[in-house]
Amino acid sequence: MSAARVVGQDVPRVDGLEKVTGAAKYTADLKFPRLLHVAVVRSPHPHARVRDVRTGKAARLLGVRAVASGRDFPLHTGIYLKDQTVFATDRVRFVGDPVAAVAAETPEAAAEAALQVEVDYEPLPPIFDVEEGMAEGAPLVHPDLGRYEVVSWIQPKAGTNVCNHLKIRKGDYEKALKGSWRVFENVFKVPQVQHVPLEPHVSVARVDLAGKVEVHTSAQSPFTVRHLLSVCFGLPHGDVRVHVPYVGGGFGGKAGINLEPIAVALAMRCRGRWVRLMVDRHEEFYATVVRQGLTATLVTGVDRSGKVQAQKMHYLWNCGAYGGYGVNIVRAAGYTCGGAYEFPNVWGDSIGVYTNRPVGSAYRGFGMQEIHWALEQQMDEVALELGMDPVEFRLLNCLGAGKATVTGQVLDEQSGRVDLCIRKVAGEIGLEAAREKRPYHGKGIACAVKAPAMPNDAASSVVLKFAEDATLEILISGIDYGQGLMTVAAQFAAEALDIPVETIRVKGCPDTDLSPYDWQTVASRQTWATGNAVLRAASEIRRKLTETSAEVLGVPVAELTLRSGHVVHEATGRSIPLTRLVMGYQFPDGHAIGGPVVAASSYLPEGLLFLDPETSQSAKPVAKWTFGAQAVEISVDPETGQVTVEKVAACYDVGRVVNPGLIRGQTYGGIVQGIGTGTMEELVVDTKTGRALNASLMDYKIPSTEDVPAVMTVDFIETPQKDGPMGARGIGEHTMIPTPAAIANALYDACGIRIHELPITAEKVWRALREREKAREEAAREAGAAIAGAGVGV
Amino acid sequence: MKAEADGDDDAGAEILVSTEHLAPFPGLGRETRIKSQCTWNVAPRGGAGKRGLMRSDLDYVVPSTVEEAVALQAGSSGAVYLLGGTDLLPQMRAGRKDPGRLIDLKRIPLLREVRETEGGGLSIGAAAVMADVEIHPVVLARYPLLAECVKTVGAWPLRQRATLAGNVCNASPAADTAVALLALDATLNLVSAQGRRSIPVSAFFRGPGQTALRPGELMTDVILPAASAGFTGSYLRLSRRKGMDLATVGVLVGKRNGKLTLAARWRIALAAVAPTPLRVPDAEQVLEAKGSIAVWEAAELAVAACRPITDLRGSAEYRRDMVGVLVRRGVVGLG
Ligand SMILES: Cc1cc2nc3c(=O)[nH]c(=O)nc-3n(C[C@H](O)[C@H](O)[C@H](O)COP(=O)(O)OP(=O)(O)OC[C@H]3O[C@@H](n4cnc5c(N)ncnc54)[C@H](O)[C@@H]3O)c2cc1C
Repeated sequence: MSAARVVGQDVPRVDGLEKVTGAAKYTADLKFPRLLHVAVVRSPHPHARVRDVRTGKAARLLGVRAVASGRDFPLHTGIYLKDQTVFATDRVRFVGDPVAAVAAETPEAAAEAALQVEVDYEPLPPIFDVEEGMAEGAPLVHPDLGRYEVVSWIQPKAGTNVCNHLKIRKGDYEKALKGSWRVFENVFKVPQVQHVPLEPHVSVARVDLAGKVEVHTSAQSPFTVRHLLSVCFGLPHGDVRVHVPYVGGGFGGKAGINLEPIAVALAMRCRGRWVRLMVDRHEEFYATVVRQGLTATLVTGVDRSGKVQAQKMHYLWNCGAYGGYGVNIVRAAGYTCGGAYEFPNVWGDSIGVYTNRPVGSAYRGFGMQEIHWALEQQMDEVALELGMDPVEFRLLNCLGAGKATVTGQVLDEQSGRVDLCIRKVAGEIGLEAAREKRPYHGKGIACAVKAPAMPNDAASSVVLKFAEDATLEILISGIDYGQGLMTVAAQFAAEALDIPVETIRVKGCPDTDLSPYDWQTVASRQTWATGNAVLRAASEIRRKLTETSAEVLGVPVAELTLRSGHVVHEATGRSIPLTRLVMGYQFPDGHAIGGPVVAASSYLPEGLLFLDPETSQSAKPVAKWTFGAQAVEISVDPETGQVTVEKVAACYDVGRVVNPGLIRGQTYGGIVQGIGTGTMEELVVDTKTGRALNASLMDYKIPSTEDVPAVMTVDFIETPQKDGPMGARGIGEHTMIPTPAAIANALYDACGIRIHELPITAEKVWRALREREKAREEAAREAGAAIAGAGVGV
Repeated sequence: MKAEADGDDDAGAEILVSTEHLAPFPGLGRETRIKSQCTWNVAPRGGAGKRGLMRSDLDYVVPSTVEEAVALQAGSSGAVYLLGGTDLLPQMRAGRKDPGRLIDLKRIPLLREVRETEGGGLSIGAAAVMADVEIHPVVLARYPLLAECVKTVGAWPLRQRATLAGNVCNASPAADTAVALLALDATLNLVSAQGRRSIPVSAFFRGPGQTALRPGELMTDVILPAASAGFTGSYLRLSRRKGMDLATVGVLVGKRNGKLTLAARWRIALAAVAPTPLRVPDAEQVLEAKGSIAVWEAAELAVAACRPITDLRGSAEYRRDMVGVLVRRGVVGLG
């Protein structure tokens, strides 16, 4: 492949061959000598005081090597809010909360021993929904909330169930509302859902005889795992080593820290032995993490021109039992609460509420699909109520250059063009207002926006080095779990150095002892952050190569270029192959200069400012925004309520398409995942027992290949991102954000009903259609009676 | 923290003591309200740790004749027959079944056969896999209703293992092939140490997971009678997603034309809307008496016959309404 234009080309995945042949190894594939197996003792109660944990019997069983419980490890972890202990100490907060764990020679012995751990519980009243959690005098899930360690930009409220509250106060909402021509208010709900990664969570740990900790884990963030393990167990970072082999999907569920502390706690009690904790699909559903639930109340006030003047957003997030990670979703949803729209006067509250449900955490979109489910339906309803075309209404109100977000950040020419995305998908699906309507056949649109939700100083770094044959090795610590990071990293380097992709090897399975630091693989940030670091390192490499060459050729550095694996002096046509430079150049007389060429570079987003704690106003709260839109065409079976998504059109302003094949794959995948959460997914928790009722793939359905729409069209706008690598910005999560809302809007278009509570199941549609039918009959009867009454009078 | 077992500090305090922390499974959890000193120590089923085929004393045997199989069953109290295992193994994994011996019938040549009977019917051996049944020429030519139903079970890879006999013996209310067997008046051949017997499939289902099988009884084959040949129709099935899901509602509508319109024979059978798969003779009769013009009446009779429950897949109300919808569609589709 011509090296000159690699970015923008369909470069095949650099890890493809390994993955399709099975050569790629995942955590559970790794073999360890004398491996011990773990069984976790989990709470059967949604909320209870733990009176006693007796592990003596279990410890005495044959084959048992270690037992650990909260008594031995009362240590707190949590990425932003340290509200979770390795094992429950004084209370359990959800069905599945770890109370103790056993490591034994066989899985059977571990399971048997776990059954012998005796726990005395004193049940406490549980709360399952956010309204209960917010109620005056509600049982407290975390009575010690006020004592937890927390980062400065998260605001838990001691003495309540609120783990974070972000307020947006922009303009004068009350006044604008009074001045509005019409006002609309609606409530929308989103249930907890699970990520269902192909590979369930698994972690293996050993503490060697010298006390050093080594972990192999299926995780999105090796360095965050190391950091949080070090802090939790009070160890120097240098004594904790984390390896992440290939990862079989995570979707946010493997961000931060998960099973690792349990494995390490056990490993500490049987030094020298490898200990593996591997959850099965059943535990994956209720005992790892889920997406938070949401109850959103929206109030929209518009003027006569159809411009929104006042917008109120009240989000109650069902964070489940722990909010260590989820608190940041609450924050991100807060500062993005206006979606892709310009709202001059805003009153926003994004509130995270603890409940006794499974633990809420990051999931592709990080709160954005949930808030767009509400906002994008609200915009549609308002438009139609006003008699406006939903596409025109969106174009009138959407963000763009010169317009201000809810935090008061004024966008510029380079911030991305949602208007173009709207027009593109509307055209693809045929959303023109004058279109011919077929009964039970509908079209709908929804926009999407998301920024990377991360600490302002979240950074990435890379190392570029050469092998003797001028193979370029790129060390990264972002995880390529399918999105294609390894491939785009190779593309950036290939283009910057004009070397063939085939001569690049990306080392994508980090080892914190040897790999450069990276914060986390989340927030759709890797192509952008790691990409920037690769470009910086490449220019450093270029500098070193050309400096040495300048000395060899006796020409100024500025006259040298890199071309097809050579440093070239264009004017004279003289060149030096990289193979003679990468380990140092040796002159005919034997003396050498240069030396192994290597570069390390990093990228840290620049100029980010904290939000004002009371109003959340900030001129630059986030590094970038990626805008987009999707439109869908559906058909509805009027008798069964079944919705068939026939066609989906997606368009995003990604700044620069780095790899068309990969970005299409991301988009198709996001759409299908969006159809899943849109039409079938919900983790059902029994509100008597707190147990997940559908914690299996038999009862919890995600889309199968037969549920994929017949047609998906995918387009991209390329408004370069100023600080993006070759103009690129993030896209991974955005692809699933608007799908459910677009389906809901199409459903209204098809048959005039609104479903405000995800997912849009056939039965909900059927029920809504029947209710509408009943209402119509009622109305007809009344009208009939009125006519009959009038007749009598004549 | 409380003192060990017989400490008296909390004497009399009523608290929950349980070891079932590994079983956050609906319906499987057990707990009891007892005095704090006591330890309730019955090993729970279905726990995370207990999940999996972990009995070290599990006995797996592979007989080569039916007689041997029956003898192996008679000689062991916790023995069960195994075909594809696509019901049995997940049930064992979930802790819902805990057999001491698995008697694998797949290597008994006789049980794998699909052959025509002397009477002109078709015998489908218990160990014949669905993937073979759904493309069998005799099934396609004479009993296409069966193929219609079989095709909806799981997905192709599953049907390379799953069997009709397993589907029937497992007796799920949602058993997709059971409705075809009901509609086709199939007979089930059974054998045990006590001897052989045949029973009509209509007398087989007793409730969810409950059948007329006597202890140790083995189903050798399913017989589709000659008299049932020639019915065509469709199996209409609703599920939460399109691929690989159990039926929320399944409705089989079959018809065989006679010389006169009114001589047509009809078949209506329902899945997932009652404790067992069921046939609706009233609905069939009204169609036979009045022709497809009686479609609404037939649909109402089917709705009246079903006794659905509300579960994760759908509410009773929805299911009942869908029976009507699907019966109407099936009948109209057959004209
Ligand atoms: C992913 C998946 C999807 C599925 N989808 C569907 C579906 O869409 N529709 C559907 O109806 N089912 C479905 N099933 C259930 C299952 O596949 C079927 O019921 C299948 O037909 C069972 O057959 P088997 O050969 O695997 O039976 P097995 O599991 O081997 O046996 C089932 C039961 O019958 C007993 N048994 C076996 N042989 C005999 C015998 N000869 N005599 C007496 N008793 C016997 C066993 O002891 C056991 O109790 C699905 C299962 C899975 C795992």
